[in-house]
Amino acid sequence: MSLIEIKDVYYAYNEQNKAIDGVSFDIKQGDYVTIIGHNGSGKSTLAKLIAGLLPVKSGSITVGGLEVNEDNIAAIRTRLGIVFQNPDNQFIGSTVKDDIAFGLENRQIPSEQMEGIIREYSEKVGLSDYLEYEPQNLSGGQKQRVAIAGILAMKPDILIFDEATSMLDPKGKKEIKKLMYDLAAGDDITIISITHDIEEVLQSDDCVVLNKGKLFMHDKPEKVFADAEKLRKIDLDVPFVEQIREAFAKRKIKLKNDDLKGMVEQLCRYRSNH
Amino acid sequence: MPISFKSLSYIYNKGMPYAHKALDDINLDIKEGVITAIIGETGSGKSTLVEHLNALLLPDEGSLEILDYNIVAGQKQKFLKPLRKDVGLVFQFSEYQLFEETVLKDVAFGPLNFGVFPDEALKMAAEALKLVNIDESYFDVSPLELSGGQKRRVAIAGIIACDPKIIVLDEPTAGLDPHGSKEIIDLFISLNKRLHKTIIIVSHDNEMVYNYCDETVVLSHGKIRYHGSTFELFSNKELLKEYNLLEPQIVTFRNLLQDNGFKLSDEARTLDSITEEIGRQLK
Repeated sequence: MSLIEIKDVYYAYNEQNKAIDGVSFDIKQGDYVTIIGHNGSGKSTLAKLIAGLLPVKSGSITVGGLEVNEDNIAAIRTRLGIVFQNPDNQFIGSTVKDDIAFGLENRQIPSEQMEGIIREYSEKVGLSDYLEYEPQNLSGGQKQRVAIAGILAMKPDILIFDEATSMLDPKGKKEIKKLMYDLAAGDDITIISITHDIEEVLQSDDCVVLNKGKLFMHDKPEKVFADAEKLRKIDLDVPFVEQIREAFAKRKIKLKNDDLKGMVEQLCRYRSNH
Repeated sequence: MPISFKSLSYIYNKGMPYAHKALDDINLDIKEGVITAIIGETGSGKSTLVEHLNALLLPDEGSLEILDYNIVAGQKQKFLKPLRKDVGLVFQFSEYQLFEETVLKDVAFGPLNFGVFPDEALKMAAEALKLVNIDESYFDVSPLELSGGQKRRVAIAGIIACDPKIIVLDEPTAGLDPHGSKEIIDLFISLNKRLHKTIIIVSHDNEMVYNYCDETVVLSHGKIRYHGSTFELFSNKELLKEYNLLEPQIVTFRNLLQDNGFKLSDEARTLDSITEEIGRQLK
């Protein structure tokens, strides 16, 4: 049994448009799954359905064997955390420490245990020197790391990232992607990440492509990106090496898919053979 | 007539214990009619710099000459309204500022505010919307019903409708999907090439800056570190290292090819022109 099973799910915000239109796939425990698709493809809706923030109209989603519905949502939420896009919209406390403590207080963790938990998770996200900092003195990447620490302190085993890096500067993006990669390294934490970042997709185990609410592709990232034509058809970006391959193909120079260095090596071989 | 910062400094929380010099003795001439990128790490002073261009912030020291206006520290400014009409500033996540009932009314707000009669303002709004590629069928729709990319184009139309000579865009593609970003990029290129607007873009996206901006200014800790050709900046490894900038993919590819004995001219800056030159060498 997979950790998350999505079976023939439908959702619509209004009568004309089905936001999610008959989607089925499974996510295994410990997997790092990225969901891509252009704006309006249903990515965020799907994440909200998994988290029980929206009710499915038909079909079913189960998390650890429990169907996501009103009866089970409290149990499911204890194991699931969401990081949203805008770092400024999810800071609750007046300092980093207060912010991480917020969730713990809600769970009525005794205050003598809190210090230790806050220390542990602020260290995990690399912010143990910032506990007394106020949000306005943190960068976007640091704010997102605070949000992640607050969520990790709840000890969830499923993390959903909803375009969590898209509003950050390159340094912040790099920080968060590294953290996500490290979190995904073990078998314990399952990550579902909605993203536009090709580099991030390439570091994930599995990639789900949505288009107009339907499952368009579901495969290993390198397989998904190998089909550039298909991606272009639904307005998605094509990795740079694939663009190189196409540009040379137009000039009748055939290259195989490879990383950048490999592409240049192929060109060198081509030169010595001609 | 360039846009000219002269020994300009700006201090946040002046006179307070938290005082912070966000811009420190800036001397900078930005050319008219080209696309200039302002880059630098978060907190380097990029947004503070561009907010001086339409006098949202006034200098604490020094001065700024822009178009026919001269903004001098400590002097009372009398021409703010015409300046703000001539220099349009599109904020980060500008779509958060859409507020009217319909798309057309939202875009007409700017011209109305600058004293244009309502009929004329609606006409100007319709033209601006056409320019940003928003179809007439959306004119009477609530801005809230549009996609992220469409909303941002409507917000930019609100600025274009005032017919500014200089358009400043703060992080215009942040948070958009690749398709939405491309639409915004095509838009500012066409504003520059067809309508000869001076475009100033604040961005973290080095790929976009490399591909589409003629000149680049690098800011760090409130000081200008570099101002010149975008290509020369990004093809200079030492400079990239010194300013802690990520190398655009196309430059990495260019360098790898050159390291392996392929000859590339300075004109081969895009994937297309590089492939063209390499293709010739392989024939």
